[in-house]
Amino acid sequence: MLWLCIQFPKLPLEVLTRALDKNAQTGALAVVEKQHIVECNESAGDRGVEPGLSIATACALSADLQLLERDSEREQQQLEQLAQWGYSFTPVVSPETASSIDNGDSRPACLNLELSGCLKANGGLRPLLEQLQEELKLMGIGSIMGLGHSPSAARMLSQLAEHRQWLARTHSAPSPQQWKQWISFSPSKLLDCDNKTIAKLYACGIKRVSQLLAIPLSEVGSRFGRSFVDYLARLNGSRQDPIPSYQPPAQFESELFFPSPLDNSEQLLFPIGRLLRELCQQLQRRQLYTQQLHWQLDFGQNQRKAFTVEISRPQLEPQRLIALTKLQLERHSLQHPAQALRLSCKKLHPLVQEEMGEDLFDEGKRDECSHQLLDKLKARLGHQALSGIALKESYLPEQAWQSADTLLLKTNPKKKGHQLTPVKAARPSWLLPRPSKLQGRGHKLFYQGELQLLQGPERIDGYWWQHGRHGRDYYIAKSEDGCLYWIFQDLTSEEWFLHGIFS
Amino acid sequence: MSSAENFFENNQLETQSKHRKLEHLLARADIWQAANEQRRSGTGIASGFRSLDALLSGHGWPRGATTELLMDQTGVGELALLLPSLARLTQAEQMVILVTPPFIPYAPALASSGVHLEKLLLLHPRGQKDTLWSLEQSLQSGSCGALLSWQGQHSLEDKDLRRLQLAARNGECLHFHFRPLAESANPSPASLRLQLGSDGAQLAVKLLKQLGGPSGQCLHLARPANLVRRDQPLH
Repeated sequence: MLWLCIQFPKLPLEVLTRALDKNAQTGALAVVEKQHIVECNESAGDRGVEPGLSIATACALSADLQLLERDSEREQQQLEQLAQWGYSFTPVVSPETASSIDNGDSRPACLNLELSGCLKANGGLRPLLEQLQEELKLMGIGSIMGLGHSPSAARMLSQLAEHRQWLARTHSAPSPQQWKQWISFSPSKLLDCDNKTIAKLYACGIKRVSQLLAIPLSEVGSRFGRSFVDYLARLNGSRQDPIPSYQPPAQFESELFFPSPLDNSEQLLFPIGRLLRELCQQLQRRQLYTQQLHWQLDFGQNQRKAFTVEISRPQLEPQRLIALTKLQLERHSLQHPAQALRLSCKKLHPLVQEEMGEDLFDEGKRDECSHQLLDKLKARLGHQALSGIALKESYLPEQAWQSADTLLLKTNPKKKGHQLTPVKAARPSWLLPRPSKLQGRGHKLFYQGELQLLQGPERIDGYWWQHGRHGRDYYIAKSEDGCLYWIFQDLTSEEWFLHGIFS
Repeated sequence: MSSAENFFENNQLETQSKHRKLEHLLARADIWQAANEQRRSGTGIASGFRSLDALLSGHGWPRGATTELLMDQTGVGELALLLPSLARLTQAEQMVILVTPPFIPYAPALASSGVHLEKLLLLHPRGQKDTLWSLEQSLQSGSCGALLSWQGQHSLEDKDLRRLQLAARNGECLHFHFRPLAESANPSPASLRLQLGSDGAQLAVKLLKQLGGPSGQCLHLARPANLVRRDQPLH
């Protein structure tokens, strides 16, 4: 096992100031929590402000110190994002949140990555470490790293300056002998235990871990307690060191801010492509797919516009998704310049082999084609412009069909449940949306000419048990010019209606 | 000596390239050849009416082309003319799209004539521009077996019809386009134009135009007996 511990000591400050321009001259800044300084920037540090001071002392040292309230929620979010970032390198990731200041000692947030399984894929230890550092630098997050055979050891060694120097040059993982040397060499104050224990250690004259390890464990146990012995065992690798493993949530969310607002939907295509590529990369990595893309445009001042792109089939190609989004975007016009663009996918589904439809045969290809067509039509015309039809069980002719979702088109024909059978009697192929009243004079009926009754009556009397009775006598009628109609006489009002056309 | 050989070779190459060009030309679907008549027959999709198939040059609806159906009255049996071929297409798992149908296609009637309803898609685009776009996209997608479209208030321009005909050819799709009878006077790029009317109890079909075949014939198709049979109604 090879664990890398990345600590983020400056995270409380960085989450608040990351958006600021690095080169811009900023005054002295400090993050405070419960009347104490948690973290401060360089210019504050130059004046002697340091973490742990009370606000009053800090303000006395630097009169124009700007104080920012610590935002633990934002830190948590940032750590979550960092964990997702770490997950793209190795599947074993464990984030650890920073401890609050009132616990006495302050432990910064850190991320533990297990590297032994992913060295080959990332081109060895040195390139991997360099890539990690490079990307962290791009994100604007300061970090210190330590390598160890267990997470506890990695955490401790990350605080050891000599180890960090070695890490900056190393090309291969150290031997077990070297771990032992590093650990016994470290001062006891680096041990991950509370201030009281450390004070006790120093009171006993134990300044280095090597001194501590020289004492028999039973004596250490009687003096410092069972949990401390446990910790030591985990530290030198004689005991397993379990940590909670991180599982990324099955959803995607990403947002892009535009420093200068965009007022043209053409300009939006580039950020759209960037977000979609990010999404596809993540989906590909985790073998997931999404059925809906939720886009949200932020115009500032709480004005937003949201639209949804639906995808009927697992699709991991960014180009296709960009084309669908573009079709959808063309329908909307931007009322205001957009300041931010957000893409979120609430539900990600695992890819199943048969759903991919990677079929060499023609059948699969045509199916794929029809799904692409459906997606395209949906994106441009809107969801409501597409529909299917299906049978429904009902006595009333106008309720014997229903508008079906287009999803029906993709159901597997082999998996059919209860099948409805249509009525045997003659039914027209066109149905009027609502029956239209016929003109009658004497015993004659007129609809674009006189109507002649051919067959009937077929009595349909539905819902007599409910309030509105629908008693009808249906006839097939022929007009003068040879058209065949389906007409009925309402039994209660004795009026005649045209209901369908035998086309 | 060698120059003579060269001359011969050049001559041969030239004739070969000419031959190839000619073959390219002859392979075009819109060039009619009397010699190919035997081969062409049977390329159409059977309409389900033997007497109609006999009149059509491909012995069926022309594949990958627009068929115009001109009529003024709905109810003469125009959909019944198409239903057998549509039923066969949906049974072969091909999609059939109806774009802006004038009424609701009634599911029980379609199902009882053998159409697989789950393969049927209705489109109701708003506006002429979206309609044309969806027509072209659907026709050329290659995933659609047949497409039925009805002309709305606006008459389609010649260039649009030409584009649709081309899209149908690229996508190998049967395209049936319903238009009012008044359009029969205007020329059209469609491969087949039929005028539909009623003749008492029968559907009267008149061939106005047919690519690669004779036109002008009339045909009477009887409507289903269970519809036109005359009972003694109470009224």
